Amino acid sequence: MDTQTNSTARITKETKNKIHIEFEGRTSFKDRLIMKLTSTSFWIDKVWYLCRFILMFGISFVILSPFLSKILRSFMAKEDFVDATVSMIPLHWTTDIYKALIQDNGYFTAMLNTALLSLICALIQTFVCCMIGYGLAKFKFKGNKLVFLFVIITMAIPHSTLKLSLMQHFSNFDLFTVQSWGYKGILELINGGAVQLTGTFWPLIIMSLAGIGFKNGLYIFMMVSFFKGVPDELEESAYVDGCNTFRTFLQIILPTAVPMMITIFLFAFSWQWTDEFYSTLFFTGNINKTLLLPDVFRTIPESLVTSYAGQAMYYSAIRNTAGLLIIAPLVIMYLFCQRYLVQGIERSGIVG
Amino acid sequence: MSKLTSAKKKRWLGIFKRPDLSTRKANMGWVFVLPFVIGLLALYLPIVLDSVWFSFNSISYQLDTTTNVVSIVVTPEGFNYYREAIANTGYLESLLNGVGALALNVPAIVIFSLFIAVILNQKMAGRAAFRAIFFIPVILATGMMETIESLDILSDSLETEESVFASGEYSGFLGMFDATMMLSSMKVGGELVGYVLDLVTRVYELINDSGVQMLIFLAGLQSISPSIYEACQIEGATAWETFWKITIPMISPMILVNGIYTVIDSFTKGSNVVMKFIDTVYNAPNRHLATAMSWIYFLVVLLLVGLVALIMSAFVFYQKRD
Repeated sequence: MDTQTNSTARITKETKNKIHIEFEGRTSFKDRLIMKLTSTSFWIDKVWYLCRFILMFGISFVILSPFLSKILRSFMAKEDFVDATVSMIPLHWTTDIYKALIQDNGYFTAMLNTALLSLICALIQTFVCCMIGYGLAKFKFKGNKLVFLFVIITMAIPHSTLKLSLMQHFSNFDLFTVQSWGYKGILELINGGAVQLTGTFWPLIIMSLAGIGFKNGLYIFMMVSFFKGVPDELEESAYVDGCNTFRTFLQIILPTAVPMMITIFLFAFSWQWTDEFYSTLFFTGNINKTLLLPDVFRTIPESLVTSYAGQAMYYSAIRNTAGLLIIAPLVIMYLFCQRYLVQGIERSGIVG
Repeated sequence: MSKLTSAKKKRWLGIFKRPDLSTRKANMGWVFVLPFVIGLLALYLPIVLDSVWFSFNSISYQLDTTTNVVSIVVTPEGFNYYREAIANTGYLESLLNGVGALALNVPAIVIFSLFIAVILNQKMAGRAAFRAIFFIPVILATGMMETIESLDILSDSLETEESVFASGEYSGFLGMFDATMMLSSMKVGGELVGYVLDLVTRVYELINDSGVQMLIFLAGLQSISPSIYEACQIEGATAWETFWKITIPMISPMILVNGIYTVIDSFTKGSNVVMKFIDTVYNAPNRHLATAMSWIYFLVVLLLVGLVALIMSAFVFYQKRD
């Protein structure tokens, strides 16, 4: 039988990647086409593809349409909001809202400050969470499970629970001290006084360094799951070759974790960027206040303050425009980095 | 005899000797988790303990006019704040609403994100573009954007059923009215119809909330070995059977993780009903009461996480690896 097929097979076309083989007794192209078109599974597949595409398209529309309407409304002039004929496309195109937000609310200063803060925090958090995750995943020391439990607990405590004491601790910063019980902390013993850290970047940097910052529990969890999937042989071969633990971590383990680290960096950067809780908690009330992005949308720019029938809608549109300005740099970053986000997750091999 | 004593001696000296290689390696783990442990002991636990203390005591500042020194007066309150919190009807109401909404949301978010992740994992035209769009909310619709969205009166997100009927734009393509008529004529129980319609009207919110879950499911789906699917195909299983017999059991650890994550995430995000209520109490300003309220809230969250974990872990299947 083998010889029979071989004798009747004829190569019609041969390229680098493909070979077309024509058999003598093969059903003709027309018959094959008819059989394909009359089979039910073919049509079921096609209908499923179509439904799936429509569904995906519809959900994409739901995600994107608020952005679209916000963008269009940001170009509307004041009178368009009371005009019943205007619903989506502006009648009087203007960039007044953008100009006012940039000039009166100090958008660029706020953006640069936030960019610096987010970059510092995200870099520290990515590295620290990677380290902690590696420690928890690959070393079976006593207390491993307890430390992991605490990681989960830091994730589960709502911010508002700690709001008051976070404020107290950082406006009067000291280590190892429960202030309300009156114990002296380390800094007080050395320096003779606690330090005020509110109004600076330090509270967030210190929290990032310790891996207890915003959503760090999630990052550590993701890293632990990732490192559990990395084979032990990788480290063992490094140890056999004479690497110590730290060199193994820096030169062998970190490079394998890069896709996952990019994902975590993206999360950390953009969540710190849009964070409202910490950036208002630690930066309030000073005269020389560091402008951050939450300040851009909080106040209506002076030059746009009005009172007319469509005031509420107009102010809403101003806030939306501020929102657009806030996320604009993130959108640009996302356009370049989105494939790493999915790739990082795909290669992670997270197993619960 | 002499051999035995030397062994005994060795064991006694063992405390002072270097431990063996595997123990030494395991102990290196402490170095890696050191930042977290120091942060936890030096900063986080004190902050937590202070927070607990604040919920049991009240602080007032008194200015002594003769010496111009501000003195802090601490009055222990016992469980007063907790009693006050429980007696506060607004708080209880928002807590019940929050838990009720959660009971509806968690299954919806988990099922929805699993469904989308399964579809995004298939090969299709424009997959890369769809993936990019689907993860936009994870990056952009958080923190400040949520606040802006909640202040937005021009919002397109369909919050209430009235708004759906009021805005011709949406009732046009969603056909909500027809769907209500159709579903209620199917005699499947009013609650179920109401639940599904409620989810459809909140689809934007649902998508926004299920971004991270989608990513986790996608990662889980990628880690299922293709050879299992191949074997299934050869045995003649349909796609439907493969989904229920292979995908669901293999992804079940992820379902547990996502269930817990959804509970924690939806409880701790600022747009939550209870968080909003506590925030208004905090800004009233009634900070100690707010702290007590949020500790009660934390206990409720912990209880629910435990409950979800208990229920879901009964259905989790762990693949035995050899």
